Amino acid sequence: MKVRPLQFIAYALLTVYSILVALPLVWMVLSSTKNTRELFTAPFALPADPQWSNFAKAWQSGISQYLLNSLIVTSVSVVLIVLFSALAAYALARLNFPGRVPIFLLLIAGFAIPVHTVLVPLYRSLNFLGLLNTHAGLIAPYVAFGIPFSVLLLYAFFLEFPSEIEDAARIDGCHTLQMVFQVVMPLSMPALVSVTIFQTVFLWNEFSLALIVIRDDALRTIPLGLTKFQGQWSTNWTLMLASLSMATLPVLLLFIVLQKQFIRSLVGFSK
Amino acid sequence: MTTQNLAGNSPPSSVRKRRTSKHGRRQWLDAYILVAPALVMFFVFIIYPLLSTIYLSLYDYGLTDARLRFVGLGNFVELGSDPVFWRSLANNLTILAVSVIVQVGLGLILAALIDRGARWGRSIFRTLNFAPVVMSAVAVGILWQLIYDPTVGLANRFVALFGIAPPSQGWLGDPKLAIFSILVVACWQYTGYVMVIVLAGMQSVSQELYEAAALDGAGEVRKFISVTLPSIRNVIIAVVLITMIGAVKVFDLVYILTRGGPANASQVMSTYIYYNAFTVNRAGYASSISVVLLMIALVLGVLQLRLSSRPREDA
Repeated sequence: MKVRPLQFIAYALLTVYSILVALPLVWMVLSSTKNTRELFTAPFALPADPQWSNFAKAWQSGISQYLLNSLIVTSVSVVLIVLFSALAAYALARLNFPGRVPIFLLLIAGFAIPVHTVLVPLYRSLNFLGLLNTHAGLIAPYVAFGIPFSVLLLYAFFLEFPSEIEDAARIDGCHTLQMVFQVVMPLSMPALVSVTIFQTVFLWNEFSLALIVIRDDALRTIPLGLTKFQGQWSTNWTLMLASLSMATLPVLLLFIVLQKQFIRSLVGFSK
Repeated sequence: MTTQNLAGNSPPSSVRKRRTSKHGRRQWLDAYILVAPALVMFFVFIIYPLLSTIYLSLYDYGLTDARLRFVGLGNFVELGSDPVFWRSLANNLTILAVSVIVQVGLGLILAALIDRGARWGRSIFRTLNFAPVVMSAVAVGILWQLIYDPTVGLANRFVALFGIAPPSQGWLGDPKLAIFSILVVACWQYTGYVMVIVLAGMQSVSQELYEAAALDGAGEVRKFISVTLPSIRNVIIAVVLITMIGAVKVFDLVYILTRGGPANASQVMSTYIYYNAFTVNRAGYASSISVVLLMIALVLGVLQLRLSSRPREDA
């Protein structure tokens, strides 16, 4: 049969392409523990004399602070996004009230609005509110921009939520708010996890808003912090690459551990 | 998640309909309480700024000026004769066209190779190709800036393998080449995303269709064209739209790799908005570019929502 040679070609092509994708990443990690001379003489060799001090130096030069800032900003934003979106999506999917359809359409239309179209007025509003150059000033628009897509995903999930469970809870005398928190949310974990992963990856990597809101070095998130090194270490590549590795490896490792959930969540767009 | 669904699928439970109007109003109140936090954030940080952008595009002012000078459509008239604006728009279109062709084309081929050719190792290929998707565009951009280094970068060594001389002004320093150097990075980062989405679609194509095609004497290429592609038509339309929207919005990679340079050669709409508002303090002019970007994004967004609202019929 013809299957064998075809399979061989398939594997060959896939392998070549995958190597092209992997090379920059492999180079980044390998180079992060080299000294400058080795970096250029043997780019793909294992480091002969690993310079772990590169990591220590990058860590002390700000990476630790940036990671902490990203952790704070991302986690607070994601918790608020998931909470607000779940409450709204539940009401829109399960309760009857005047204005339901227009509110739903308006919320999901927000999905199409690129953040760059509102940078100027956002900057002015945050300036007016005294939130420029604060983490709160970053979290507030993050939450707002996270809501449309999250509502859309959770709405689809809540539409199919079995109404028998709600009815049973009502007969037991459950108030709507009580029911949402004690019955519906715990049973909606897969959808909530999906939204959490999607928003976490997106916000952990967010750059545009951070660029206009944050000025103090001590408040920078990881992507914004990396741009400082871009200027500062333009000639010290090994330190730059150590910083890049430290900034990206947490997300990459998390992705490798939770790949199924990651892919389901990030691909959710098309479904 | 459809508008038809929304209209046709009023909240269930016949029990509730028989309740008194007092209870009905109680439910309204609950609903408004649940919707309020999301709606407030949405209005304060999206709708209000959005309306402001449109309003402010009619004025001339600096970023933090309290005083605005009304210029009517003056900003838009200036846009019409601003070569950098047209360059930005053209660059967005170039990115859009190349991204759709390369990312979707390559993504489809890779997915088909995995789906039809790979018996084992599927998940390794998938994981590896998806990895760049979860990285920040800033980190990716800085990494590639080092790779593109005009004197000692890996890109120079790579093309030297094929006997090609690297560009004399550098990969990012050559005005004609810069936008394509950025595109290589974008394709490197996002082709895996398309691949994974398309692969998920392909795996739900019925094996019987392939067997029937094989009986008709179809080879693998023929099967790809007459069985795979038509079966995943909706998925392809969806990824094309996602890719187009990404191309219109692109900011991070361009900002990190070239800042829109050299001499505005790789400027795109979002970086030109940023440049005007935050570098040369022409916020009114930046707002008028924002309005153009907004209109393009809304058209694509509406298309996307319309398509995603009826996948179930033939899925």
